[in-house]
Amino acid sequence: MTSHSAWRMALAGALSLSLGSAALAQQAAAPPAWAQGRPAEQATSSLAPHAPRLTATPADRIPLDSIRLPEGFRAELWASGMPGARMMARGEDGTVYVGTRTIGRVYAVKDEGSARSTRILAQRLDNPNGVAVRDGALYVIAVNRVLRFDNIAQNPSAEPVELTQAFALPTEGHHGWKFAAFGPDGKLYMNIGVPCNVCTFDENRHALIVRYNPDGSGREVMGHGIRNSVGFDWRPGTNVLYASNNARDWAGNELPEDTLHRLSRPGEHHGFPYCSGNAWQDPGHTGRQCSEFPAPVAMLGPHTAPLGMRFYTGTMFPEAYRGRAFVARHGSWNRDAKSGFDVVAVTLNEDGTQGRVEPFLSGLLDTAENSFKGRPTDVLVMPDGALLVSDEQNGAIYRITYGR
Amino acid sequence: MGLRVVLLGLALMAPALPAAAQGDAAARGAALAAERNCGACHGERGISAMPGIPSLAGQQAEFIALQLVLFREGLRDVPAMQAPADGLTDQQVEDLGAYVATLPHAPPPDRAPRDASALEAGAALAGQLRCGVCHLPALTGQNQVPHIAGQREDYLAETLIAYRDSKRHGSDTQMNGVVQGLSDAQIAQIAHYVAQR
Repeated sequence: MTSHSAWRMALAGALSLSLGSAALAQQAAAPPAWAQGRPAEQATSSLAPHAPRLTATPADRIPLDSIRLPEGFRAELWASGMPGARMMARGEDGTVYVGTRTIGRVYAVKDEGSARSTRILAQRLDNPNGVAVRDGALYVIAVNRVLRFDNIAQNPSAEPVELTQAFALPTEGHHGWKFAAFGPDGKLYMNIGVPCNVCTFDENRHALIVRYNPDGSGREVMGHGIRNSVGFDWRPGTNVLYASNNARDWAGNELPEDTLHRLSRPGEHHGFPYCSGNAWQDPGHTGRQCSEFPAPVAMLGPHTAPLGMRFYTGTMFPEAYRGRAFVARHGSWNRDAKSGFDVVAVTLNEDGTQGRVEPFLSGLLDTAENSFKGRPTDVLVMPDGALLVSDEQNGAIYRITYGR
Repeated sequence: MGLRVVLLGLALMAPALPAAAQGDAAARGAALAAERNCGACHGERGISAMPGIPSLAGQQAEFIALQLVLFREGLRDVPAMQAPADGLTDQQVEDLGAYVATLPHAPPPDRAPRDASALEAGAALAGQLRCGVCHLPALTGQNQVPHIAGQREDYLAETLIAYRDSKRHGSDTQMNGVVQGLSDAQIAQIAHYVAQR
């Protein structure tokens, strides 16, 4: 018997055991998490998440020249050659640590004056998107894994301390990658996204922003009903937490809006899965009403994927920029006309309850061709007041400066 | 590769390479493939005659590059691919992708004869699961989404089972979700249908 005739016989045997057609249809109906909730009118849509690029983009092919900024600002290529570069955290010695998703690496970028050297600090991790620095230690948060690299500046190749068991994070991969930052209270904050596009889930376990003591003890929920926040920061002078949030897909090109939230009361529910965007009641989740939840501070556009957001605390930029929030919009996939692929600035009103959104960094989206050249993913204010912007698509970090 | 796929690929590349550069990359990739002896398992012209080993001819360049990076980084665990992928530079990974994409696609020499009922059942399942959305209606793939039409049936079935049982992940978890809950028999039907395309 040849190998393929053996295969055919196995197939025939398997076929004779196949299930009835009703059970078959039911079993086959489970869509991937990103495709859940797709309505009949979008059944034939060919929209799908964009591929990550896992190889280095040579410096001469990075779209620096396409970047547009308000007058007086300029962009330079600060570091490159880091496929998948996403979230950034700055160490006390000035080293910038960079998390990734698919490629499983954490990079370290050392500023050597006129140039930067980059190295792979950790690898083979499952979506190590979260990076945060406290008391000389680098914390790396992957899906269900927390590592602490002590005295990282002095011991750049030290083995990490495993904190995974102490944090006991959920194991779901979808929306399981973390944004992480230390708050002004010295606690480690991170998001826990929903393991679906839209679904019924344990609201004490997912769609959260949580905080922990740095050793993983003392878990507290700071916000419920936040579908997936991959960027947050504390408003200077107030210690109030603001978080970007990615709303659900497959509810149409214009609905719902992605949002910026203000977490003024710890533990408050911000609406998901019932209410999203601009008071949009999800027709599939009507158990609670939009009026029950605090309204978002700002609308950031449907499907634009706002990720990293930080308040501007420097003095290099003009006075008007101080206290504004910069938000990196990674760019849409679930929208026929692509949008985002930029950085916007949000100006808050005095009590911080409402924000006005203005463009800041653009030029990476070609609306005529409906294509993109880069994907801004995180922003980081440097001590000199320059703003770093990571571009996951090109494995690069841009430095934005201002000068007359 | 259809014109539409080429255009889509170019539209998403950042930025697109001129044709001459693509040719250089393919030539470098051909030399490297010979050096690393890819043909011993995948077939001299990228058409595999070995059970469990995929054909590569006509595969999407971006898919090949992604998979080689996953092998190199130890994120996709296939022992036989460890040594061949070890130490590849990013440039070499892209060159190999460019080379493989230029090889003419063909079904394997030992492709099984069609089984009408398996074909019909597999086609129905592929329709329900909307394989053609990402892999395109002819199942020739786009960018990171592989060309699967005419792939080895045994390899397709093994791959779908690995996705179902969470033994394999792509550059994201989409395929794991798509095949969630399928029986081995259903997977065999899908594999037969796709292999016969």
